[in-house]
Amino acid sequence: MATTPTEPVVDRKEAAKPAQSSNRSHKPFNSFQIAQAQFDRVAEYLTLDPATRDLLRFPLREYQFAIPVRMDDGTVKIFRGFRVQHNDARGPGKGGIRFHPQETIDTVRALSMWMTWKCAVVDIPLGGAKGGVICDPHNLSAREQEQICRGWVRQVARDVGPVIDVPAPDVMTDAQHMLWMLDEFERIHGGRFPGFITGKPVGLGGSLGRTEATGYGVVITLREALKELDIRPENTQATVQGFGNVAHYAIELYQRLGGRVIAVACWDQADQCAYTYRKRDGIDLQQLSSITDHFGGINKHKAADLGYEVLSGDAWIEQEVDILIPAAMENQITGDNVNRMSPRLRIIAEGANGPTTPEADAQIRERGILLIPDFLANAGGVTCSYFEQVQSNMNYFWEKDEVLGKLDVKMTSAYFAVSDLARRETLSMRDAAYAIAIGRVAKACHERGWV
Amino acid sequence: MKAEEHQLGTMLHALQERAKELNCLYQVGELLNHSGRSLEDIFRSIIQVLPPGWQYPADCQARIIFEGTAIQAPEFLPTPWVQRASIVVQQEAVGAIEVSYRRELPRSDEGPFLKEERRLIDTIADRIANAVTQRRLKAAFEGWGAASATASAAAEWRVVLEFLRDTDPALLKRISRKLINHLSWSGVEEAKELLRKASASPKLDPTLVSDENRPLPQSLLGSAGDLTAEVFRIAAQHMSESEILNSVTRWIKEDKASFLVRALENQDTSLGEVMECLERYRHIGVEEGELSLYTQTGLRVSLIRRFFSESLTFINVAKKFIDVQDFYDLLDRIVFPPGCHGKLGGKSAGLFLAKKIIDKAPDASDLLRAVRVPKTWYITSDWIQNFVHHNDLEDVLNRKYMEIEQVRQEYPHLVALFKTSSFPSEFAKGLALALDDLGDVPLIVRSSSLLEDRPGSAFSGKYKSLFLGNRGTKEERLAALMDAVAEVYASIFGPDPTEYRAERGLLDVHEEMGIMIQEVVGQAVGKYFLPACSGVAFSNNEFRWSARIKREDGLIRLVPGLGTRAVDRVADDYPVLIAPGQPNLRVNVTPDEVLRYSPKRVDLINLEKNKFETVDLATLLREAGASYPQIRDLVSILSRDRIEPLIGPLPDFASQGVAFTFEGLIRHTPFVTCIRELLQLLQHRLGTPVDIEFAYDGKDFYLLQCRPQSYGGDGVPAPIPQNLPPDKLIFSARHFVSNGKVPVITHIVYVDLEGYSQLSDQNAMLDIGRAVGKLNKLLPKRQFMLVGPGRWGSRGDIKLGVPVTYSDINNSAMLIEVARQKGNYLPELSFGTHFFQDLVEASIRYLPLYPDDPSTTFNDLFLRRSRNLLPELLPEFAHLQETLRVIDVPLQTGGLKLRVLMNADLQQAVGFLSPAQQDIDSFAAESATTDRAPNEHWRWRFRMAQKIAAELDGQQFGVNAFYLFGSTKNATAGPASDIDLLLHFQGNAQQKGELLLWLEGWSQCLAEINFLRTGYRSDGLLDVHLITDADIEERSSFAVKVNAVTDPARKLPMKNDR
Repeated sequence: MATTPTEPVVDRKEAAKPAQSSNRSHKPFNSFQIAQAQFDRVAEYLTLDPATRDLLRFPLREYQFAIPVRMDDGTVKIFRGFRVQHNDARGPGKGGIRFHPQETIDTVRALSMWMTWKCAVVDIPLGGAKGGVICDPHNLSAREQEQICRGWVRQVARDVGPVIDVPAPDVMTDAQHMLWMLDEFERIHGGRFPGFITGKPVGLGGSLGRTEATGYGVVITLREALKELDIRPENTQATVQGFGNVAHYAIELYQRLGGRVIAVACWDQADQCAYTYRKRDGIDLQQLSSITDHFGGINKHKAADLGYEVLSGDAWIEQEVDILIPAAMENQITGDNVNRMSPRLRIIAEGANGPTTPEADAQIRERGILLIPDFLANAGGVTCSYFEQVQSNMNYFWEKDEVLGKLDVKMTSAYFAVSDLARRETLSMRDAAYAIAIGRVAKACHERGWV
Repeated sequence: MKAEEHQLGTMLHALQERAKELNCLYQVGELLNHSGRSLEDIFRSIIQVLPPGWQYPADCQARIIFEGTAIQAPEFLPTPWVQRASIVVQQEAVGAIEVSYRRELPRSDEGPFLKEERRLIDTIADRIANAVTQRRLKAAFEGWGAASATASAAAEWRVVLEFLRDTDPALLKRISRKLINHLSWSGVEEAKELLRKASASPKLDPTLVSDENRPLPQSLLGSAGDLTAEVFRIAAQHMSESEILNSVTRWIKEDKASFLVRALENQDTSLGEVMECLERYRHIGVEEGELSLYTQTGLRVSLIRRFFSESLTFINVAKKFIDVQDFYDLLDRIVFPPGCHGKLGGKSAGLFLAKKIIDKAPDASDLLRAVRVPKTWYITSDWIQNFVHHNDLEDVLNRKYMEIEQVRQEYPHLVALFKTSSFPSEFAKGLALALDDLGDVPLIVRSSSLLEDRPGSAFSGKYKSLFLGNRGTKEERLAALMDAVAEVYASIFGPDPTEYRAERGLLDVHEEMGIMIQEVVGQAVGKYFLPACSGVAFSNNEFRWSARIKREDGLIRLVPGLGTRAVDRVADDYPVLIAPGQPNLRVNVTPDEVLRYSPKRVDLINLEKNKFETVDLATLLREAGASYPQIRDLVSILSRDRIEPLIGPLPDFASQGVAFTFEGLIRHTPFVTCIRELLQLLQHRLGTPVDIEFAYDGKDFYLLQCRPQSYGGDGVPAPIPQNLPPDKLIFSARHFVSNGKVPVITHIVYVDLEGYSQLSDQNAMLDIGRAVGKLNKLLPKRQFMLVGPGRWGSRGDIKLGVPVTYSDINNSAMLIEVARQKGNYLPELSFGTHFFQDLVEASIRYLPLYPDDPSTTFNDLFLRRSRNLLPELLPEFAHLQETLRVIDVPLQTGGLKLRVLMNADLQQAVGFLSPAQQDIDSFAAESATTDRAPNEHWRWRFRMAQKIAAELDGQQFGVNAFYLFGSTKNATAGPASDIDLLLHFQGNAQQKGELLLWLEGWSQCLAEINFLRTGYRSDGLLDVHLITDADIEERSSFAVKVNAVTDPARKLPMKNDR
């Protein structure tokens, strides 16, 4: 799930977000310990006081509960559910609900902490939370899943809500699950509260612009970066790894800004490897989309017929470009291939989660390439979730333009805050983003008089 | 086939003649059925319908002479050009039919008449004679009925006797004979004496038989009349009036069927003659219920044997469900050669039987009653011999003994040769007749060989089935049909079936190919023709994606359009899988999975191009969209991040993406229930799990095939040997184990776990995949095993598992995915993915290993330290030798081989080194066979119950009597049945304890034996009930079983019983 390039909902991506400080070639040992270690490092830099550290190293509240479900065959099975609210100093908790057979409380804790930082870095008034149920939907009928959803809500109905904690879809949950949960919540509370949950379909409390949000967000931060470097977009060219939802809208907006995408790389299901499709005078997004399947795979033969050069899967990284947008999967820019990047390269905008390994990260910094870190660059998704909640709460839904306009404002100011700190403190953009996020949360806790 | 064109023209002319003749015959039959009209009246109509059946109707006239009267048209003109046939009733000519031409016409076979016309006129005369006989008999019976109403019961049979004497003396003679036999068997001395006197049969006279070998004196008896009188006199003394009456009436009725019995008893009777007799039998309207049970069964068995199969297993089941009347359906739809002794073949037999089972299930739901079978014509299996001889192709018959490689190389030429061969004209005529009847709907020509679809040799997909658009002129359609038949014939000599037969020791068995020509189920959708959906379904589910699904929940593989895509494995496309017992537990759950693994293409018939095609579903929907049958129940709407049910108006298929999920069909129609009931019914009646093919045209559900589900021992849990020496054990597992075994593995391809995770370069990982693909072609087929980390063949991050596709591993015997635990993180394995499904379909065993589970073994030293053959086998991949290892097991172990045994019931699997053969094989082989002969489950249980009783010392344990009841006694025990014992206990408490302990020992042992035989595990096999004197007195609890009227318990002799 984590590595699916087409994943549209940012909340889901965060789910399996790898730890930035760990060795990325291995899966995390214990994700919560890693998350804590990461926090400790930034807390040290920020010289936070011990009480604040103690507060933020652990979740504020954790709910663990049983969900009895009458199965289709008449037996009753008990499922284990979780909701962890890491911090709500800046606003109601926000975070997905995962259905996963190997779910553990530690995973949920770690993910809830990451949610706190993520909301803080884009400066939206939400805290961090996460939830889940230990189950494998592959072993459950639709009716049984519905019962789990409703059971989950019944157990925490008083501890979640539009002004307390707002769930969203995540691993193996989707809009359907959200609607069941919303319905149960509304039955219990006797009213209509669409702001209880996000990820709903348009027309039933969902927000327009969600499809575009992540991809556009990436390019909005890129646009600001170009401005800072005083480069005109129309003089730049870029390559994009991935051709899913994020990549598609990133390319669209970038081309509208005047930039030229000369190559995209994507996975080929039939050949079980990736290819890079290059057209030196710029790809035609419309044309390429018309020969792409639902999963972002470009038809190799048709592409060749249309005059695209078909190159190896990692060729995208070594093109003569100013900008790289890795928008496919994690661990793509590594110690091995980081040297193959063109000397001309100025900016990397991380559309995917964790595309750059720490070794590569260090070299990129040495070379003076501006890297827009993933949890800033692809925060357009969570921002749009926030907009969905806002619209739901006032039961008034904006036109797409309005959503995207507000997205632009949020992303732009988020970028500025991070880049400003990075410049002032000579931090990497990544470190600066964490410092800002954790700093904002710590400040809110102080101001509320918690610590 | 160009040379044939002229011949075709002549043939078509001939065919038109046949059609006229047939039409004439039908009209006559129709007229004769009007029982309300007088014979003369009917004959007047018949002379009207006769002339159009002859070659020159305009000049043709007819008349019937009956009992001295000529029935003819006023303008009738006697001429010399006459064809005449006598009407013979009870060996006496009572009249004649005459067909004549008013002027001279060109000469033909018989004057101006065709030889077919001779047959026609004879048949008509025969029919008229039958009708006359029938009327006479009916009159006789009516007279008798009228008489019996007035006369006393005592006189009834005498009335019958009188009538018979007048109307049918020959019948009376036969009945007398039966009566005397009956009396003799009943021990009536007088009758025996009479018989001795009459003595036509020496065997009835023991003195003569024992004495001498000389010829016996001929009948001493006078005329038949005398005998009759004498016989009935004796009968009147020894039998009651009603007894005589019943016997006589039964014999009269049975006599009507005797010609059929005789025809079937004679092995020389050709199928054509059998069919004629059957036609006559139908015509005279015998009610099967009027015949005695043994005559009925005899007729059924003979017919089943002649039409379908000599297999006792088949006959045993079929005779319960197929009546004589059922064969009427076949009569008009069989194409058979003269002197035919062929059969319709396995596929036809299976389908025919299945349909009859459904029709005759007393408890079948309306759903099942609505199940249909497409209109079918049959070509008998011996036509292929005629075809071969006709074209002097005898050489092909022994090609099966050639080297398989040669068979393979020459096969394409053989197909070409067959397709240019010509058909015997009778054959072509038969096919043309079939085409006329079937019309111009698309057809499928399906193989139905004698060996096909039998238990243990399903031949699935080995012989050809071909689709025909069946468009164009009659000549074109016939040519295409002949072409297809020739190709299906050629497939009997193809390399695949030859190899398959060789593997099963069936090479020497005489194989013939019957053929079914079936209407294709479906409807026109734009320029295409297809059913809404089709598929296959199995009683046993061998691909259980969730632990909640049980084997007996079954499996459906469902595809849109023609079922070819469900039957075959198609690359890059997937059928929708449903477990009919658990239809809500889906393989694919997330929208991503659902979409990725939904069918994308469809097989159909392109009516414009007149051929079978595969088309993108998206294209089809864009073109034909809303006219696709039942589309609303088949698709779901793709929205941005979920898959929505189709509610409200149909979408515009040109712009709205949809996925074929069959969601509506599964959730809102009884479709799945219907299949489930069907599978259960057929499995129950046939006594074996079944495998069916079906199609659904949006309105009706059609059964296309039914055969025993083959599992070739695969699904049988392998017994797990205990106490394996640790140095011989390579691995063991306790999670996600399925049933099966791989008896011999000679090579292991091992991808080192550490080595792989340390590969930094994506290309190096891809190289591993490529090297595995090369090894797949190099290593001995089905004798090597792949072992490696994580999820093989998964899309996405190839660090998670070796990047391979199906064709890179399709020759392996087994795939083992190793999941090393890292902290509390357990990698997800391929289990339940479609990659796994590929494995199941190719019967590649799959096993996940969790080496960090302390209760299991994983001997990675053996895997890592054995000599690596990779550099020698694939020098170009030598650089991978740190990571990829190829181990020759016998070479490494001094001749041992790796054997893998897997048992799902125990959730245990082991892989260990062993000498090539071991006793355990015979055990497993036995369990496989016993499983296939489900009738045997009770037999050994019964033997064991007898054994226990014989071992039980009644005095020692205070047991008075030992009874058996329930399924073992009733011979209905299944693989999981208990043995129900009832013990009449009179002992004390201590004896009771000892007795129960003693029985418990047996119980456990038997459970173990049952497990080894069938794979069903239970805590004990005996279900023991003790009853006391008081119980018997009060007839309480199980004591009622003792001496019960219905289903009583059976007493078994004990050790000290006398």
